[in-house]
Amino acid sequence: MIAQKVRFRLLDAIIVVALLGLAGWVYYRIAYGIEYKANWGVIPQYLLRRDGATGRLVANYLVEGLLTTLRLSVWSTLLAMLVGVLVALSRTSSSLFWRLVGGAYVETIRNLPPLVLIFIFYYFVIDQLMPLLGLDALLSSRSMGALRAIAWLFADPSLLTQLISGVITLAFFQGAYISEILRAGILSIERGQREAAWSLGLSKLDTMRFVIMPQVVRRVLPALANEFVNTIKYSSIASVVSIQELTFMGRQVVVATRAIFETWITVSLMYMTLTLTLSLFTSRLEQRLRARD
Amino acid sequence: MPSLPDIAPLAPSDAAAAPADDILIIEDVFKSFPGVEAVRGFSARIRRQEVVVIMGPSGSGKSTLLRCLNGLEQADSGLIIVDGIPLDDNHAHRLEIRQETGMVFQSFNLFPHLTVLENINLAPMRVRHKSEQEATARSMELLGMVGIADKASSYPAHLSGGQQQRVAIARALAMSPKIMLFDEPTSALDPEMINEVLDVMKDLARAGMTMVVVTHEMGFAREVADRIILMDSGSIVETGTPDTFFTNPREERTRRFLSQIL
Ligand SMILES: Nc1ncnc2c1ncn2[C@@H]1O[C@H](COP(=O)(O)OP(=O)(O)O)[C@@H](O)[C@H]1O
Ligand SMILES: [Mg+2]
Repeated sequence: MIAQKVRFRLLDAIIVVALLGLAGWVYYRIAYGIEYKANWGVIPQYLLRRDGATGRLVANYLVEGLLTTLRLSVWSTLLAMLVGVLVALSRTSSSLFWRLVGGAYVETIRNLPPLVLIFIFYYFVIDQLMPLLGLDALLSSRSMGALRAIAWLFADPSLLTQLISGVITLAFFQGAYISEILRAGILSIERGQREAAWSLGLSKLDTMRFVIMPQVVRRVLPALANEFVNTIKYSSIASVVSIQELTFMGRQVVVATRAIFETWITVSLMYMTLTLTLSLFTSRLEQRLRARD
Repeated sequence: MPSLPDIAPLAPSDAAAAPADDILIIEDVFKSFPGVEAVRGFSARIRRQEVVVIMGPSGSGKSTLLRCLNGLEQADSGLIIVDGIPLDDNHAHRLEIRQETGMVFQSFNLFPHLTVLENINLAPMRVRHKSEQEATARSMELLGMVGIADKASSYPAHLSGGQQQRVAIARALAMSPKIMLFDEPTSALDPEMINEVLDVMKDLARAGMTMVVVTHEMGFAREVADRIILMDSGSIVETGTPDTFFTNPREERTRRFLSQIL
């Protein structure tokens, strides 16, 4: 195992109690020290609001933000896995050229702050990539249904460019870390596995696909799960390029209500809902895979 | 152990490409690693259905030679022709040779994430493009022959060493190879499991499979080998039938080797 999986132990319980105590103290300081009047009542209306026309409850800023964070994370994780697999393959390939290309990519990404990266990608994507893809033309030719599907899966067409640049940035950033994890995993597979596959006449691609990668993924799943959680956390930097994800929406709500603590605590809990659900899911998956050996 | 009726159908028409009956021609093969000359001018001709046992002290180049024969290592020089196909830079030749040569390793090298059946099915399905049904029928037949049909849906980790090695043999046979290479197939096994693997190999030999076996199992060599080759420092010291090799070796080096392993 490359990384230990997260488990709740006695020590964790003690830490939780200590943290709760600390939170109580901080609350006390805020409430009585700086005479902050908590006003939790303003929060719910920013989660859900009643639609004026239909009278139904619909998502408001914070829940919208959560959904955007979710979309951003899902697409960038998928793309990051693709990038990670390709880079890991090139870094473990027999070709010096591809090893250098992969190495240069990983080193560049790892030595740049993600915030700088997102600015670069944002302007590059908006300036160069979008016209190249002809996204606007593509969008304007779509039917209403298609546009609604795009809005549901990605973002409102008017915000699509931002979302794509966010997804690309996160994917390239996380892809570098994921590729390192996968590379370590690939190198950890015993030589005999490749030799057996070779002797059976399997192609290189089939060897990777059916013999090496399935074993790699099992071995590095805990480390990968950690990177998936990181993707969700880092998605908050997308707020700086006006992607209306949870952190961005949190700032809007703070500006509107001045309920600083209430808002950010709510936002924190919403992030934790995502990350803890993901952790739970991956540890289940791990258990199921481990049942075999 | 059930008999092996239909191992590797030996179509006589295939022989057209190969001169006479030599299915494997090895001529003056050299292979070095940085600082070591592992194989130094090895030559041999192996006939169809022949069983050749290679013996020799550790580090004498037996594994390296075997690995050169199916292209796992690339020989520095020399000639290797498998059933009329030269092992050269031609990608198609190399591919065909490794599909036609089965290899069994000391460490089994089963795929741990696949069941026994999936291990055996993988190559026939991916390489020979058999349907799952077709592949499974053949795989179950092979599992029956190596005596572990009941383990088809187990994962390798739940099998004993002897069972794993028998699966590895079945897996190699599933590609219907023309030659089987064995690299110390019983060296990693507990003594009580050695015979179950050797029995399968004996059946295979009797069914007419061409085999090159690196082993120090004298009983096996005496019983099924047509020829025994002693290797030392990368080349052949002595070649002989089991009778002459064990009872009346020509070389002093062979006598010394035999006294060590007896
Ligand atoms: N991949 C390799 N790299 C470097 N040296 C090797 C490699 N494989 C084998 N050798 C060396 O080649 C020699 C022959 O090894 P090997 O063929 O494994 O012998 P045997 O199987 O008879 O014990 C040994 O000295 C060994 O250290
Ligand atoms: Mg060896």
